Amino acid sequence: MVLEYQVMINTVQYAFFYLVFSIPLTLSYRTTKVINFAHANLITYGAYTAIFLHGVAGLNIMSLATVVAFLVTGSIAVLNNVLVFTPLQRKGSPPSIVMIASMGLWIVYKYLLYIATDIANYYTSRNFMSYGRITYLDIPRGVGPSQALVAGLAIALITVVSLYVLLERTKIGRAMRAVADNPLLAEISGIPRTLVVNLTWFVCGGIVGAGGVVWTSFSGATTPEVGDSMILQVFTVSFVGGLISLLRTGVGAVLIAAVENVGIALLNTYFGVPVSFKPFLTFTTLLAILIAFPPLGAGGGLPYRFLRRGRGSD
Amino acid sequence: MLTEKLIKVSMPAIGRVSNTMVARNTMALALVAVLVLGLAAGYGLAVATGSGRVTTATVGGSVATVTVTSAPTKKVFSIGVTLPLSGELSSIGKIWEKVVQLAFEDLNREVQAYGFNVEFRAVVLDDGTSEEKALQNVQSFAQQGIKVVIGPATSAQVKVVKSYVDSNKIVIISPSSTAPTLAIPNDFIFRTVGSDAGQAKVLATLAFQEGVRKVVVFHRNDEYGKAFADFFERYFKELGGTAIKIPYQTGLPDYASEVAALASRVQSEGADAVVLIAFDTDGANILSHAAESPVLSGVRWFISEGPHSAEELLSQAIGQFASKVRLLGTRPLFIANPLYEDLKKRMVQRFGVEPSVFCENLYDAVKLAGWAILRAGTYDGEAIRAALVEVAKTYYGPSGWTMFDPQGDKAQQDYGIWAIVPGGPKGYQFKDVGLYERGTVIFLEQPYQ
Amino acid sequence: MIDVVGFVISWLTIFGIYSILSLSLNLESGTAGVTNFGKVVFYGAGAYIAATLTTYLTLILNGVDVTETPPYDVRGIVLLGELGSRNPLMSLGLLVLSLVVAFVIAGALGYLLSYPIIRVGPAFVGFTLLSFGELMRVFLQHYEPVGGNKGLMAIPTPFGWVAESRVREVAYLGLVMGVLATTYVVIHRLVNSPLGRTLRAVRDDEVAALCLGKHVPKIKAKVLFVGSGFAGVAGVLLAYYLTSVNPNMFVPAVTFNVWAMIILGGCGNLKGSLVGAAVVTFVDRVLTFVTPYLGVTVISPDYLRWVIVGLLIVVVLIVNPRGLLPEEPIKTPALEVVSEELGGGSG
Repeated sequence: MVLEYQVMINTVQYAFFYLVFSIPLTLSYRTTKVINFAHANLITYGAYTAIFLHGVAGLNIMSLATVVAFLVTGSIAVLNNVLVFTPLQRKGSPPSIVMIASMGLWIVYKYLLYIATDIANYYTSRNFMSYGRITYLDIPRGVGPSQALVAGLAIALITVVSLYVLLERTKIGRAMRAVADNPLLAEISGIPRTLVVNLTWFVCGGIVGAGGVVWTSFSGATTPEVGDSMILQVFTVSFVGGLISLLRTGVGAVLIAAVENVGIALLNTYFGVPVSFKPFLTFTTLLAILIAFPPLGAGGGLPYRFLRRGRGSD
Repeated sequence: MLTEKLIKVSMPAIGRVSNTMVARNTMALALVAVLVLGLAAGYGLAVATGSGRVTTATVGGSVATVTVTSAPTKKVFSIGVTLPLSGELSSIGKIWEKVVQLAFEDLNREVQAYGFNVEFRAVVLDDGTSEEKALQNVQSFAQQGIKVVIGPATSAQVKVVKSYVDSNKIVIISPSSTAPTLAIPNDFIFRTVGSDAGQAKVLATLAFQEGVRKVVVFHRNDEYGKAFADFFERYFKELGGTAIKIPYQTGLPDYASEVAALASRVQSEGADAVVLIAFDTDGANILSHAAESPVLSGVRWFISEGPHSAEELLSQAIGQFASKVRLLGTRPLFIANPLYEDLKKRMVQRFGVEPSVFCENLYDAVKLAGWAILRAGTYDGEAIRAALVEVAKTYYGPSGWTMFDPQGDKAQQDYGIWAIVPGGPKGYQFKDVGLYERGTVIFLEQPYQ
Repeated sequence: MIDVVGFVISWLTIFGIYSILSLSLNLESGTAGVTNFGKVVFYGAGAYIAATLTTYLTLILNGVDVTETPPYDVRGIVLLGELGSRNPLMSLGLLVLSLVVAFVIAGALGYLLSYPIIRVGPAFVGFTLLSFGELMRVFLQHYEPVGGNKGLMAIPTPFGWVAESRVREVAYLGLVMGVLATTYVVIHRLVNSPLGRTLRAVRDDEVAALCLGKHVPKIKAKVLFVGSGFAGVAGVLLAYYLTSVNPNMFVPAVTFNVWAMIILGGCGNLKGSLVGAAVVTFVDRVLTFVTPYLGVTVISPDYLRWVIVGLLIVVVLIVNPRGLLPEEPIKTPALEVVSEELGGGSG
């Protein structure tokens, strides 16, 4: 009863989403060491590209929307890097400052989108604050799996396969990994670091946007808060992967999706925990993971992992 | 000597502001100035792109006003309006802004027809659906000398302004706050909307009449949802049915897992209906996911007024689901009220939008405020409050009879039944199909054949 | 004919509350480098402590059975309205109690949270605190005794027994300013001391500080205790000011608002926090007087205000991370001695 059909389908669906949203996050952090709050905006902007295409231009073709969203969010990610992250990093700002700057960016993008929805509402009299589910023409519908499931599977597969090919088999991918491991050395050995970094941002940002498009075929009502309400879960998934390993991020996606769907169903059925407790479960998992497996590396908890007893003077 | 030199070399920055620092600071200040100018330019742009001006503000009661040069100078009264033009309720708030415009025009016209040489002006502020901003707005109104405020929209906001308005004797008329905890007598808060207890009774009657005996109440985990669910449970039990309540967290981006949990509960309990108590965004989300569940598509569904008139519900997925489960909802409505029909027609004609939820309550709030000010004789909070109670006793508007009960809330509220049927420009539309009269639901037409 | 006095009173009161928050955040992040993205947790904790203590105790001390008539029930609310303004001694006593309890509990909460924060490392402090904040909020929404999602209302104010409303407002403003002054003095002393120097060392290079023998985890814990305690105090003041609390008031957006204030004013400079808080709260207040004159606009000024806040954060961080006011050298007695020796080196 708990593991019933709908719960399993939801787990799979959410796993697809978390995969598509978190793997680019891990990849971008690994390469650039930037904790990017504006990642939430990429999800929202991807969804809203599809929404504006549908609401303003009347187009509901997923392949078109995905491509456009990819370009839009990819460019935003590159723009952020060029205008904000790189100048800050060049000045030697600590990672927390870059994170705070990304928070400023997050605020800017969020309210710019609100303004855009207002303008669109003014000209078309449609409500963009809460937009209904979009039924796409180029995805099979009717009997069988929902559009979101089919599209989700497609996007997730494409993401995983293309990233694998990119990172393992191509020169550019190897350059990305080199820059991630040791930027200075990579630059010395002739890799165009700036280009590689920007390309990473473009690809990562774009994938997230494409995922956002699929979201519009899943959710009954998409709002401009979409990215913000999911960002903590997305980061949780990336933290499971330690912000380094893409494979573990993938595992994390399945894990968190399971916690949210199967976990809460279990608690509800056997312990009578109200379904409204779901966010509590998610955040407890996030905290547990963060505390039990703190991410390594610069900015991670490295210095204190070997502290045994209280030592040293005050 | 050497130590001195060493100190000088090693601590150059003590107390000295270097030239680069000065330059940087000036640049920073210049940038801030530019950005502030940008703010001003932004406003300029906003004004330029905006069309149609709501008659704008002036200070309350003072004769030193901007316009009006006709011989006997009109007395101008300001009424504060705080609306959720941004934030969670902004889609409703924007429609309300238009209702306010209409209401003030009608009010001024009416007042002229009666021979009063007065004009009412709306001072509209956005409270962003936030509590702190609502208080801020009410304070600004008070500081401009305004004694009557329409709004705020949510009960949480009303709770925050209550202490201030009670101390400063400012009349508040909220068109949409329904929390039972605000049903307090002898204060300055009035609400032109009926308590949800009445609507819950109608919903319970509707469900029972339609033949269901065991329902699962899927409700928002906030004051609105919980109070409604509690009332529903009570009334449904009185009629002879059983209700199981399942709250869900508000403000989530998606409710797929909640709906899955709902489906398993419906199945395990063998319920024959689901009663959904939601707002528009979550309602649309839940219904879309329910449409994909075979279990949930096989039971009846009944809904509160929250999702009514929300565009997202007119999608194909939900429209088809509605006819499959013969979806019926209740909402506050004086059915076949010619004043309401007229308001609806004029909204569509003038602004191209259908009135949303509580539009009629808002309209009547404006009218009541205006007449109360006139009948009070003096522009004083206590006098206006007393006058308001009297005016409301005999006023009939688009929301029906506006009489207040001893707690300052709408005493009489009628309810209608609505459905989602094919038709209209978006493929599906909302239709009022029945009404509640003396303990039974009467259908004017059968929406699902 | 604008009530300027009223405007100034209402502005300064909210400025005071936000200043306390900014100062506490500046202590944590600007001076000690603990990027606290969960400030709203302690703010909310303080507010809820004040609300719960005051409403329950007012009822209990007046002989009301709170299991029958809890303060979140409409009958309890009506009672609170009547009882709250009768006994000056009780109101003021509850005020002092709330302030003390809130400081201690919020501070303790901060101290306890320092453990997971240290474990996850500086870069993830933000997310840990953010998620903890959301956790608290969901918990409060389900916990009936504090009103659940309804929250608590009709909180009796410390000066409810004063008859004249304007006097009441001024008295409350005086209270807020008094607390602000205390906060400023305490934090100023903390920052301008050898401890303050240690905090900056920790901020600038944690590993180096560790190598120099500074017990960094304990230091961070202490800083979080103080900073969170003051945030709790600000929460108490907010609760009395709004006379109503509910969980949805304490969302991450509040924290970001405070961050905007300290970045604008300058991280590491206490006076800057005051400037930042003043500017942001003032602009917000003035907007409410200006916006009605704009009529119906397509672009909401509220959204524009936020876009500009975000842009300011980004621009200030890129151009001049120090903000409007630069970080000042730490004024310890030793510094004074040295400056004198150098022949009035401060310029």
